[in-house]
Amino acid sequence: MSAGDVNQALLADLKANGADFFVSVPCKLLGGFISTLEQDNEITYRAVNREEEGLGICTGAYLAGRTPVIVMQNTGVGTLITSLCSLGNYYRLPFLMVISHRGSPGEPIGAQVPMGTAVETLLQTINVPTYMFSDPSDTKKIGQLVPFASVAEGPVAAILDYDFWGAR
Amino acid sequence: MRRYELLQSIAPLLSDEFVICNLGFPSQELYAIRDHDHHFYMLGSMGLSSSIGLGLSMEIDSTVISIDGDGSVLMNLGTLSTIALEDQKNFILFIVDNGSYGSTGDQPTHTAKGTSLAAIAKAAGIKSSVEVPGEEAAAKLSECLKTPGPHVIVAKVEPGSPAMTPIPLTSLAIRDRFREAVKRAQA
Repeated sequence: MSAGDVNQALLADLKANGADFFVSVPCKLLGGFISTLEQDNEITYRAVNREEEGLGICTGAYLAGRTPVIVMQNTGVGTLITSLCSLGNYYRLPFLMVISHRGSPGEPIGAQVPMGTAVETLLQTINVPTYMFSDPSDTKKIGQLVPFASVAEGPVAAILDYDFWGAR
Repeated sequence: MRRYELLQSIAPLLSDEFVICNLGFPSQELYAIRDHDHHFYMLGSMGLSSSIGLGLSMEIDSTVISIDGDGSVLMNLGTLSTIALEDQKNFILFIVDNGSYGSTGDQPTHTAKGTSLAAIAKAAGIKSSVEVPGEEAAAKLSECLKTPGPHVIVAKVEPGSPAMTPIPLTSLAIRDRFREAVKRAQA
């Protein structure tokens, strides 16, 4: 599967499961996926400055009945912990975070590794159901996490590594 | 005038608008003055009242007012640029600027020492951004409710708050009654 095909398949599977409102903070690994989001006329997509801001905007969209997805790099989880607890978990807001996994094997930049190593444990520590994906054929499973967030009654994380994006 | 009296002065202006209210003490005060199923009391996540209101205003036709604080806005300044970019006609950011972190013992914020949130909002691209004395805020809000936004109103008041009790609603009750009210308004 080419990188472009993965991005199309991922968005198609998220949409097929009801996702209709996306925000993103950029990441090198997410560049192609963000372009795919920008070009899709059926969804609402916005670039935001920071993950917390994105969580706030997604909360507003959820209160209006939309099904939001936050697209972000794993480093952003660090700035998001408090709001994930006191907004996402406290109000049990069902939304999916699609998180690129910098600092995992394939990573050329050493400064990314500490957060890349910590991210899964951080999310598990605050009781966010977190699933790791390496296989680009897993887009269906990732899409199914959209309704699973409603079942789980709270935020859910999908962490997609270099192999998923075909980037090493 | 403190925040409590400011909220008392603007409450009579509220009718079918949707309100996102910042943090525990301001929410308790608003709840005591006027509770409504159009109110979402955001009791944690300091800084995100503005962003939640923005996201809501993108998706509904009704006017959305985010009641925010100076310390909170200082934590999420970036969203002012997003508010400018989105250019939602139905969005008002109402900042209660008492120059202090009221929930933690009234430590001064940077607005007490010269930072102007109205000037920052204007520089971010929100043309209708004004600072007014608290006593004039209701008249300004009334005017903004009649004209297309986005608007930023910075209401300058004194620090301090009366003793309040926690809002007797669970987080899920706050969430669900608000969502149902939005659904009814959009139907």
